[in-house]
Amino acid sequence: MTHGHLWDRLAEAKSRLEPVQSKYRVVFEDPATPDEPAKVLCPDPNWMAAALEGNILPPIDTYQRDRLVSDGQPKEHPYAKPIGPMSEEEAIEYLIMKDIDPAVWQEYRGNRTIMKIVPVELVPSDRSFRNAWKINQEADERIAA
Amino acid sequence: MSTLNVSNITDGTTTVGTSYVVNGSAKMWVSLNDAAVVKDSFNVSSASDSGVGKYTVNFTNAFSNSDYANAMIAVDADGNGYISGKSTTSVRYNNYTTTFTDAPTEGMIMGDLA
Repeated sequence: MTHGHLWDRLAEAKSRLEPVQSKYRVVFEDPATPDEPAKVLCPDPNWMAAALEGNILPPIDTYQRDRLVSDGQPKEHPYAKPIGPMSEEEAIEYLIMKDIDPAVWQEYRGNRTIMKIVPVELVPSDRSFRNAWKINQEADERIAA
Repeated sequence: MSTLNVSNITDGTTTVGTSYVVNGSAKMWVSLNDAAVVKDSFNVSSASDSGVGKYTVNFTNAFSNSDYANAMIAVDADGNGYISGKSTTSVRYNNYTTTFTDAPTEGMIMGDLA
């Protein structure tokens, strides 16, 4: 049986699966723009449901190869055979490799901690000083405000 | 999953090509709260809170090129929203009045998928 196009699988999954709000966020700083505040990546609940279900999303390496493909040229990930179910932790790692620049999670060689996976409750709910957020370099995992 | 392979769809009076239906569908839509938490969506893998009033949306299925048509609006917020950083894999929504402002934000894209 053919696995079809990714967009078709996403449409089918959206009609069938309950969304799953992740318990985690990924906090990261871009080394190319050190003056900008820390960013907070939030997984999409429909995407997370698809990741946990399996047989919907393509292998992560297809996205990584597609980074090198020019606009307008055929891409691999929409047509790749889908992978099986992931745990929530595996899904977060997949999402980091897909949606965060490798300069953050792969290539950075500096001394600062520039990326952390944190439980939702450790992200400040008070946004008064949002543009001053940086990753706390101490042992505890809270974001400094 | 079953596939219905037809060239046209008709109600008995009016006939339309399935290509019109496919090409006329939104290929991405998203509704964010003011901290970039996705309330509901389609074809979105994640959203990033990049600072006050700045939200980046990442797509699950990339677009063929970045010439897609993209509409966005900040909900219940005065001022101007604008779109930046359009790429085949993500887009940034900015909510701006006299300064950047947090606000629930919605977006939708019509265009060609990869």
